[in-house]
Amino acid sequence: MNIYESAITEPFQKFYEKVIQFLPNLLTSVFILIGGIAAGFLLKGLLSRLFRAVGLDRVSERSGAAELLKKGGFKDTLSVLLARLIGWITVVIFAVISMSALNVPAFERLFERFFLYLPNIFVAGLTLLFGYLLSNFFGRTALIASVNAGAMLSSLIGRFVKYTIFIFSATMALEQLGIGKETVVIAFAIVFGGVVLALAIAFGLGGRDIAKDYLEKKIRCEEKKDEISHL
Amino acid sequence: MANFNFRKEIQERIDEIKEADIIVGIPSYNNARTIGHVVRAVQAGFAKYFPDKKCVLVNSDGGSTDGTMDIVQNTTVEDFQSVLLSHSVSPFFKLATPYHGIPGKGSAFRTIFEIADAVNAKACAVVDSDLRSITPEWIELLIKPVIEGDFDYVAPLYHRHKYDGTITNSIVYPLSRALYGKRIRQPIGGDFGFSGRLAKFYLTKDVWETDVARYGIDIWMTTTAIANNFRVCQSFLGAKIHDPKDPGADLSAMLYQVVSATFDLMETYAHSWKNIKVSGPVPVFGFQYAVGLEPVSVNIERMLERFSLGVRELKDIWKEFLPQEIIAFLDKAGDLKKEEFNMPEEVWVEIIYSFAVAAHKKIMNREHLLKSLTPLYIGRTASFVIEAWDSGAQEVEEKIERLCRVFEEKKGVLAEKWE
Repeated sequence: MNIYESAITEPFQKFYEKVIQFLPNLLTSVFILIGGIAAGFLLKGLLSRLFRAVGLDRVSERSGAAELLKKGGFKDTLSVLLARLIGWITVVIFAVISMSALNVPAFERLFERFFLYLPNIFVAGLTLLFGYLLSNFFGRTALIASVNAGAMLSSLIGRFVKYTIFIFSATMALEQLGIGKETVVIAFAIVFGGVVLALAIAFGLGGRDIAKDYLEKKIRCEEKKDEISHL
Repeated sequence: MANFNFRKEIQERIDEIKEADIIVGIPSYNNARTIGHVVRAVQAGFAKYFPDKKCVLVNSDGGSTDGTMDIVQNTTVEDFQSVLLSHSVSPFFKLATPYHGIPGKGSAFRTIFEIADAVNAKACAVVDSDLRSITPEWIELLIKPVIEGDFDYVAPLYHRHKYDGTITNSIVYPLSRALYGKRIRQPIGGDFGFSGRLAKFYLTKDVWETDVARYGIDIWMTTTAIANNFRVCQSFLGAKIHDPKDPGADLSAMLYQVVSATFDLMETYAHSWKNIKVSGPVPVFGFQYAVGLEPVSVNIERMLERFSLGVRELKDIWKEFLPQEIIAFLDKAGDLKKEEFNMPEEVWVEIIYSFAVAAHKKIMNREHLLKSLTPLYIGRTASFVIEAWDSGAQEVEEKIERLCRVFEEKKGVLAEKWE
């Protein structure tokens, strides 16, 4: 009888007591999670309307951000995207709070670290997003400007500007996340410096004749100029 | 009305002048070489044609470093007999002032409008400072229709070389004629006459931080006058010969400013141009005669190279708003040699209207959109030069007339796509 009690009944009794103790925490946690999901969706709807009402979409169209988003594969407007982002952040924050409401020490330590790290993820994400948008914008600016200047390597110039800006923003994002801090910066400096040096050597050696022809034409005025007055 | 503070010495001169009948403005920037001739022509024009009127010459300068303003102050017609003048001449006033605002021709004009407003001028004119063919008669032809004919706006009509004024001939003239229904041949000619009333009206508009402050000013003045039902006419001024423009001047920036101002005006006056179905002539003053023009050198091969480069590199951008058949045409045209190259009127009109609709619908960043037009414009110009190689002035004018008709025929499609 004693063996039965100590081997089977008591552990079950203890387990039952622990479950009874844990249940209110679990229920609280589930309620917080459901409340967070509802708050996230509500906030998304409200903010989307608010951003539209204050004319955020007009500003993004005028500044070219809307076009960049479209080019980046985002089909929604900036208002919707921002509202959705804030909505999801709200849901994630509530999910983390709901987990910590379970009062499990291991979870609590994990969540504390997660909360401290969260701003880094947010800033890195924003850096990457803006870097992507800016790289597309300036890449296109460089492409059009070099085509209008008659540069035969226009697409190369456009791509160079685009990728340089994006790599630079990715480096900043990784540094923000603390991933291989020094390594990333040094790697970037080496790669960037290497690319510039390679281009300089390539242009210097490969373009020697072109540069010579160009200078000769300019100095001797061999190239026939247009005298058209466009206006 | 603008409430403007002039520099102290200019305000003192304005107080001294009090009221004036006529103002002629000359915008300038490093034009020391040519502005003396323009000042003499204006002064002789005042003396010969308006001896009993109170006249003011205003030089609105963009910060010249070559002594342009000094030349304006020191230049005067010494011997009026040389312009066959024997009657007594009233003294005329001269003001030379740096303009304020963003650097550009439009900001220079704004200062001229403000001085015209301050002295309550009845008639005004503006002439370019790099003109070599201006004569005293230009002042009569730009001012008299305002004073005696009660017109508010006098556009110039010149004889120009067949390859001169290609932005005017291929975009601005046909487009503004199709949109607003007035056949003003040189809507961005640069030399205009206008009433004091219209100068005051210009000052009520808040456009001085836009492309209007730069090269957009000419089309803005013309369109504002037409769309607001001011009485417009043209005066035949003879040949337009001017110093070659700064070779460093960026064609793409110039094209962007003019086209951007034109498209902005399409937004402002959309209610007006959509209802206009046909174009009609406007009264022309001045005795018309044929003139000999200096040859213009063109490098077609280089133009075609620029066009092909544009097609190769910018096609993906154009695909976002140009019709598929136009893209297919450009693909083929990009590989053609000089002898085979041709960009028909229909294609060009389709391109311009598609750019206008894309700018209206904000399909992409405006500067990217309009600057990507440059290679296409160069292609159309090359096509025009090839086509008009052996043509005389009359034949070239007929070609431009044909282009205008295509712009007018296709306007309905533009209006539909605009909605």
